[in-house]
Amino acid sequence: MSTDINAIELTVNGVPYPVAIDTSRNLSGVLRNEIGLTGTKEGCDDCECGACMVLLDGQPINSCSYLAVQAQGREITTVEGLADGDELHPLQRNILATGGVQCGFCTPGMLMSAQALLDRNPDPSLEDIKIGLSGNLCRCTGYARILAAVDATAVELRGTSDS
Amino acid sequence: MAITDLPTFVRADGPDKVTGSGRYTADMTLTGMLAAKFRYAGVSHARITKLDVSAAKAIPGVFAVITADDVPDVRYSYGIADRTLFAKGVVRYDGEVLAAVAAISPEVAQRAVDAIVVEYDELPIVTDLEAAVADDSPLVHDDLDGYAITGDTPHHGNVGTHSSIEMGDPDAAMAAAHTVVSSRFVADASHAVPIEPRAVIAQWEGDKVTIWTSTQVPFDARNGVCETLEMPTTKVRVIVPHVGGGFGGKCGPHYEPHIAALARAAKRPCKLVFSRWEEFTAPDRRREGMIVDVTTGLDAEGNIVARTGELLLDNGAYMADSSFFAQAAAMHVAGPYTIPNVRIDAQLVYTNHQPSGSVRAPTAPQGCWAVESHTDELAAAIGMDPLDFRRRNIVRTGDVGPTGQTYEEIGLDRCLDMAAESAGWGTTELPDDEAFGISIGWWPSFHMPAGAYMKMHADGKVQVITGANECGTGSVMTLRMLAADELGLDQTDVELVYQDTAAAPDGPGASGSMTLFNHGRAVEKAAKEIAGQLRELAATKLEASAADIVLADGAASVAGTPTKSVPIVELAEAAAEGELLLGSGSTDELEWPEIKGSSCLGEQGFSSFMAPQFICHVARVRLDKDTGVARVLEVHAVHDSGTILNPVAAHGQVEGGILMGIGQALTEGTQYDETGSQRNAALLEYKLQTIADAPEIHTQFVEIHTPNAGPKGAKGLAEAPNVPTAGAISNAIAALIGRPVRQLPMTAERVWSTIAEEVTA
Ligand code: FES
Ligand code: FES
Repeated sequence: MSTDINAIELTVNGVPYPVAIDTSRNLSGVLRNEIGLTGTKEGCDDCECGACMVLLDGQPINSCSYLAVQAQGREITTVEGLADGDELHPLQRNILATGGVQCGFCTPGMLMSAQALLDRNPDPSLEDIKIGLSGNLCRCTGYARILAAVDATAVELRGTSDS
Repeated sequence: MAITDLPTFVRADGPDKVTGSGRYTADMTLTGMLAAKFRYAGVSHARITKLDVSAAKAIPGVFAVITADDVPDVRYSYGIADRTLFAKGVVRYDGEVLAAVAAISPEVAQRAVDAIVVEYDELPIVTDLEAAVADDSPLVHDDLDGYAITGDTPHHGNVGTHSSIEMGDPDAAMAAAHTVVSSRFVADASHAVPIEPRAVIAQWEGDKVTIWTSTQVPFDARNGVCETLEMPTTKVRVIVPHVGGGFGGKCGPHYEPHIAALARAAKRPCKLVFSRWEEFTAPDRRREGMIVDVTTGLDAEGNIVARTGELLLDNGAYMADSSFFAQAAAMHVAGPYTIPNVRIDAQLVYTNHQPSGSVRAPTAPQGCWAVESHTDELAAAIGMDPLDFRRRNIVRTGDVGPTGQTYEEIGLDRCLDMAAESAGWGTTELPDDEAFGISIGWWPSFHMPAGAYMKMHADGKVQVITGANECGTGSVMTLRMLAADELGLDQTDVELVYQDTAAAPDGPGASGSMTLFNHGRAVEKAAKEIAGQLRELAATKLEASAADIVLADGAASVAGTPTKSVPIVELAEAAAEGELLLGSGSTDELEWPEIKGSSCLGEQGFSSFMAPQFICHVARVRLDKDTGVARVLEVHAVHDSGTILNPVAAHGQVEGGILMGIGQALTEGTQYDETGSQRNAALLEYKLQTIADAPEIHTQFVEIHTPNAGPKGAKGLAEAPNVPTAGAISNAIAALIGRPVRQLPMTAERVWSTIAEEVTA
């Protein structure tokens, strides 16, 4: 089997990581195995479930279907980068408070999609939130509490930025 | 109730889950760990004439390749011990495991899997249920009687379990009935689809193996390893990291024995992580397809006087835990109605499909969908409103059900009234393309032995060591509350130690809605033991009688004299220097409800329902008649699940169960090609509901402190919401198009065809 190993640098949550990887490797695999950030989940390997959602320069992507080498020179944000030290991000706090976490396997991807949504639209309607999260499957919750958490976070963040 | 009104009950494992620090099985790495991969049969029925793994073994980086020859010759399963870990002689479904490979990387393991040579003599494939029960059908298993058979498991030909419920004289009653309606409904198989595909890691140290696995049932997984690898219980330890959903799909032992055997052969830890395709096609966990023929007779007033039914259930190739399915399905087709004359005959039929196993309320959503659709046909036949028809015929407190069980305090009538009221049944004006549909359902609670240990430390903090399993339900978290309540502490003073078979006493884990019901009772008992010890200590200290000591708000006080009080932490500190504060508890046997006047063949514990849960759902559906696309706008759900201890978890279970039910109703059907292989084993083809599909859900609970039930009168809860959802949607669609869609899922195409039939008819 031919291998094509490249030495690259990936910047994840503001930290640069030098890695030597085969060019065929997907980003989720490299984040999880080489870099050791297992918060990003894999529920399929084919852009079907959204569990692997991360932000690339602020844009949500399914990292299972994205080549790691293509992420070079760009800012990657994973669920591990959401909290501010020990302080949970309002999205994290609210999704716990509403009961939007059950098994938690969809949660990291859900949070990243929600973060991307709120970044581009700080005042989303419920319909906007539904569209923003429609690439993330959750089998446990029935979504209502996730929707409520994102809505509550939007309100909360607008309150902070207004004041 | 708006979400913000609920009391806050944040799950203890929540911070791990939202920060990404929590570990699921696939997130773990051990030193020297190898990648495990399986070679699957790839054909649905064939005799193996050659299986050669030598080329695979020769590939550099391959540490072990094992087959049936490398493990003890043990046949296992519940009811009929019909299967082996690795295929032996004959393969009976395409996802059956032929061999396991351990290699330095997943890529090398895959190359080795591809290098395994297998040759077959093809055998006739059995996939059609009605053909399978014909006398001349080819057999999936040549000789069932050659297997060890346990329990009341009547079987013959391709029929694995035959079960029947009989009461009264249905033939005479049917002949005398004023109106008789016969219906036929066919449900496709479907899948549990947890978002986490399963993963297993095994590591040996000497003659002991530790297995990390994404199971819902750690003790079953351990027992499966012990049975198939012929090992003593004490040498196998199963640890369960966070589990990314189960819904029954991760019940039963699955691949823990395979990976343990592989790791032993490879002399290295091995890790298996399933792809989505494997998760769909390989495990013995698929919701069974079902054919329901049901006939009901009514008297002139619309009372049900007789019901007969014939059911065929697709068992697939092997018995997973399915031996009770025939009887369970029969109960759902009988339904929670007062019917004096009943005969339901159900057969669980072997085919060359993937095996069926318990998925969230096994047999119930399909059986309920069929009989509740039939119920609306009955109401229509006599021109009665479906709600009134049900009000007339449901079981109420003190009534006798279709197997002769008399119900103690139950709340089905209130479920019906409250759901109708919530929806505005009969009062809300709906546009022409919208309708309400109503469905009721039921599901038992189950007693199983479970234990708990407990220790209070010198700092007054408590550890509960429980065999419970948290796959998202939150009921494990409720155990902290039960312990805290008994001990007069705050929940945050209590930590759970769970999901480790070496540490905790046995129990059913997260299966059958049994966590709170059984593990909860064990935890209460263990806590009572420590509470008793605290009372004794406090009584001595406060010079009072132990019986007068009240534990509350972190203190032990004398009843009526709150000034005579000592902080619990002080008692704990003293005990740490003397007799330690330790508790243990095991569930007391609950009384199995009696049945009178009926006979049940194939008795598998489902002829009466312990602490039965009752449900009514009303769905508001909009239908585009041009395309057949149905959209669920609202679901009004009312449940009698006894006392509700953790409202956030309870609402979450109902909401998640309803979404799963909508999926089963409209989009989730397992499709097979003519060779018996699943055609849609991917999430783009097997469509789950997304957030954009989610309706408004209004949930209420009829809280009845139920006798002979779980802690504080609680019943089970997690499976019930799945039961009546498809039935309610079906009845809304039927209300719009004048007849029910007779196949599940009721896809746009099937709805459209049903409309077209009406036009041509
Ligand atoms: S793992 Fe990437 S979309 Fe499912
Ligand atoms: S919480 Fe389990 S999949 Fe969303």
